[in-house]
Amino acid sequence: MLEHVLNGLYYGSILFMIASGMTIIFGVLGILNLAHGELYALGAFCAFSIVGFVAGQVAAPTGPATTIVFGLVVLAGSLAAAAVLLPVGGALEAAFIRPIYDRDEVYQLLLTYGLLLVLTDVMKFVWGPSPVDVGVFSAINEIPTTELVGFSYPSYNVLVILIGVAVFAWLAWFFDRTKTGRIVRATAINREMSTAIGVSTDRMFTLVFAIGAFFAGFGGAMVSIGPSSASLGMGLSWLVLSFVVIVIGGLGSLKGAFVGALLVGVSSRVVTPYYPQLELAVPFLLMVLVLLVRPEGLYGTWGEIQ
Amino acid sequence: MSRFLVERDGQTRVRLSEGMELTKSQSVLAVLGLVVLFAVPDITRLTSLSFQAIHRGILFGLAAVGLNLLLRHTELVSFGHAAFFGVGAYGAAVLASHFDVSSGLLLLVGSVLASTAIAVLIGYFVAGYLDIYFALLTLAFNQVLYAFVLQSGYFNYSDGLSVRPDGLNPPTLFGLQWTSSGYDLILYYFTVVVLVVSLLAMWKLVNSPFGRALDAIGQDRTRARFVGIPVEKYVWIAFAISGVYGGLAGGLFALLQLHVSPEPTLYAFVSGEILFMAILGGFGTLVGPVIGGVVLVYLLIQAPFYVEYYNALTGLVLIAVVLFLPEGILGSIPKIGTGLARRRSDPGLLREDVATVGSSLRRGVSRAVTTVRIIVFGVN
Repeated sequence: MLEHVLNGLYYGSILFMIASGMTIIFGVLGILNLAHGELYALGAFCAFSIVGFVAGQVAAPTGPATTIVFGLVVLAGSLAAAAVLLPVGGALEAAFIRPIYDRDEVYQLLLTYGLLLVLTDVMKFVWGPSPVDVGVFSAINEIPTTELVGFSYPSYNVLVILIGVAVFAWLAWFFDRTKTGRIVRATAINREMSTAIGVSTDRMFTLVFAIGAFFAGFGGAMVSIGPSSASLGMGLSWLVLSFVVIVIGGLGSLKGAFVGALLVGVSSRVVTPYYPQLELAVPFLLMVLVLLVRPEGLYGTWGEIQ
Repeated sequence: MSRFLVERDGQTRVRLSEGMELTKSQSVLAVLGLVVLFAVPDITRLTSLSFQAIHRGILFGLAAVGLNLLLRHTELVSFGHAAFFGVGAYGAAVLASHFDVSSGLLLLVGSVLASTAIAVLIGYFVAGYLDIYFALLTLAFNQVLYAFVLQSGYFNYSDGLSVRPDGLNPPTLFGLQWTSSGYDLILYYFTVVVLVVSLLAMWKLVNSPFGRALDAIGQDRTRARFVGIPVEKYVWIAFAISGVYGGLAGGLFALLQLHVSPEPTLYAFVSGEILFMAILGGFGTLVGPVIGGVVLVYLLIQAPFYVEYYNALTGLVLIAVVLFLPEGILGSIPKIGTGLARRRSDPGLLREDVATVGSSLRRGVSRAVTTVRIIVFGVN
């Protein structure tokens, strides 16, 4: 049971990294980014190249100390892989999404769906059609974590859960405590007023999109380092699940995305072993339930959606 | 003026019935479209176009026509129309493989009944919601259905069901057992008839008081309620009607493919595709979704045979439609027509067009470059 809960938390952490970007992009820009799943996949592929390269530069771990060094190097590598998404996300926003803020939402959906298809083929062009795997998963599992309390569980998953919490903490700090974060929230609440007091909404939107892309990419890096590999279709199911998460949490709410992600992750992993036929349906049943009972989601929104 | 020709706004219009009128050029286009529809089997025999792909495109287009009732009139974005399409397809498949119903028409009746029931059920829950919540709620119901079918032995999991009542031959059409190519041909002509009848019915519907009420609901729900329109009930009915279209298309799809599996009929991305067909063809028009359906399905099915990066091709088409043809393919024809006429009389405009396209591309690229520079170096 504990193992299933931990699995759920691991799953939820990854889900949060993707859904957080989607929810802040929706909350601030008012755009439901269908291409977000592909940004996540792009992060996974970048991690394959970059982490693969940096992990090759250090020796394979032999003892506990070298394992931790190795783990840190891999973490730095996946941060670097996610950092690739910053300029990519910014450029996508500036070139394609900026011209359509005033348009009907159906056009925004259509455009981001077009971007999804194009990004898929860009990745196919660069990394080829077959899945790729970084293959540092087992080395990281040498780092002792759960063994210390007499329980066996992959250390990597524990680390990802911790990273997920850290990402949430950083985002909450950024939007609550920093000046830039507050400006972003002000822009979300009233675009015209923030323009009037001298905020460049274009810059803010680009920044938000880039941050969202960064965390999606980071989530992708975490997955491709982990037990699964980076493949072309990997973004789709996560994209649909991220919808579920941000709807459960409340569109545009960061806290909601965190709670929603963990809820979806844990409930689906805990239910699956007992009722395998419910595996796919559980998140959506949750979503239907939440929408019918509390249409604005668990936490409502912190930025008004225009 | 005879019964079928009326004079209005200084133009002679062809009048089919109360409120259903066409201008001269529209009627020429409509007749041309009908001729092309009926000639498709011959055209595809003579050229390298794919008959199957066009047939499938028309079916998805029919589902998109149903979706367009919601999108165009009540301004609700449904992201779950694959539910009706898929339920329609499965309705036929279940009747054929579990109950050995061999008549194609009965199978179709079954699929329409099944999808109507599902649409009525889902519509009951979603009719009160708006905007993105409506879209996501329909998506959720769609995915629940998908997950249910995928996990259910009755529907044979992800392998799906075969639509061959005796396990070998396709269903009978009009009481006769056809050979394989004859079956495809008869089914195609039947599809065309169904399509034309459905389009006429939809046309009649949107010109009826009910259609006008839906327009009012789309423009302003509160006002619609004030003038006495039962908003939720009408949205519910519209949702059920669009479900009928989806089910009809799905049932025909099952008869065409003779095998139904969850992935190509029920998955959430099929919903997205149906929605995008309506926008691509022009959701401000009646026939636009059908054209969008044929174009998009053709791209999705046939492009892999010609180019390796077929997804990018489809994606670029969609992006181009959003940026340059916001009214969709059919909706832009009048604009393109007048634009072409003006350019023929004044070729200097062409140079301006090139300059406009060039400068907008340049602006996009320079915006992207500036942004990347700011992100990478911190300054512009």
